[in-house]
Amino acid sequence: MPAVLQVAALACKAVIAVLLLAAGGAKLADLPGFASTVRLFVPTPALRSRRASVLLAVGIAAGELVAGAVSLSVPKAGWVNLAVLMICVAFLATWTVGYVRHRGRSCRCFGALSARGFDRAGIARAAALVVAALVATAPVPTRTIELGLGAQLALLAGGALIGCAAFSAARAVGRQPLPRQA
Amino acid sequence: MMMRIPLYLVIAQWALLGALGILVIVLFRQLGRLLNGTAKAAELGPVTGSRAAALSYVRPGEQAPHQLRPGGGQPLLLAFVDPTCPSCEQLVLTLDQLRAAGELAGTDVLLLISDPVSYLQISDAFSGTGLEIGRPADPAGLEYYRVTATPLLVAVDAAGTVTAAGSAIRSAEVRRYVQACLGTMQAPAAAEAVAMTGEGAA
Repeated sequence: MPAVLQVAALACKAVIAVLLLAAGGAKLADLPGFASTVRLFVPTPALRSRRASVLLAVGIAAGELVAGAVSLSVPKAGWVNLAVLMICVAFLATWTVGYVRHRGRSCRCFGALSARGFDRAGIARAAALVVAALVATAPVPTRTIELGLGAQLALLAGGALIGCAAFSAARAVGRQPLPRQA
Repeated sequence: MMMRIPLYLVIAQWALLGALGILVIVLFRQLGRLLNGTAKAAELGPVTGSRAAALSYVRPGEQAPHQLRPGGGQPLLLAFVDPTCPSCEQLVLTLDQLRAAGELAGTDVLLLISDPVSYLQISDAFSGTGLEIGRPADPAGLEYYRVTATPLLVAVDAAGTVTAAGSAIRSAEVRRYVQACLGTMQAPAAAEAVAMTGEGAA
């Protein structure tokens, strides 16, 4: 495999993992806000209750954090690439449905850090993520992803730092009234 | 002997560094806004002491628009809220509690939403409230209220004058607005209630 393609595959993997960590951390900082977005997509009235939607929001944020952390620190686990690809496909589906049904509403994909509403550019970004996740599934030589325990722990610590920084930033931004939707 | 660093480790380090850099920029931008961001908060809500503008709104499930004409002899609490805004849900719950306790007696309360009416179903607070809900039918008059963010609570006295406006969600804060529109609060205290803008929204 050419070196450029190896770099592309590994870069896509690392960037998506870091994105997932940042998104998960930021969502945890604004759970009520993200839960209200989750409610827009829940078809069952029973799951629309405040408690259920917050639990769902916690599950999604925690899922992103776990997927991001494992993808970042255990690059040899090939199944994680497929799991991340599924997550990105879910993002694309969510953005498409959001654009059709809730155009202009805030997705809160990065908690209070993201005030962007569901729009075409968001669908394009989600599609780009899917392509990147597909590239990340390309097989690479084992020597390029063989990490020792120390390196894995260092990456995990770096990932935790990103999650905490995103949480703090989203918490700081979230302490303001919500901008009125169009 | 030279140690060989795996390619992935190098790339992942740069990815982490890049993300951290972006987040640091976000934090510093927010810090900058907090340090000199009072001007933006002041733009929320109508000017205290001005005459409240009339509004036309439609109730959920109805077609015919209703007219809101402040100054008809009845104090009015106008809440600009949305079902997709958690702080707004909190405000609606607080207003419901005060109403149940009889603390809103003698005051008309109107919740004005900008979200589609179908969104009322996604919020327990909105679908279960006994307060009147409306959606502006005409943009005329809305500009006066400067609803740049939600929740926005506006207290209007019986003469149609805005006595307090700002963001509030807690019982104590909302009580101040009720007192402001009933005219039982002195002017400095009403101004203090307005100064609380931004503190209430979490």
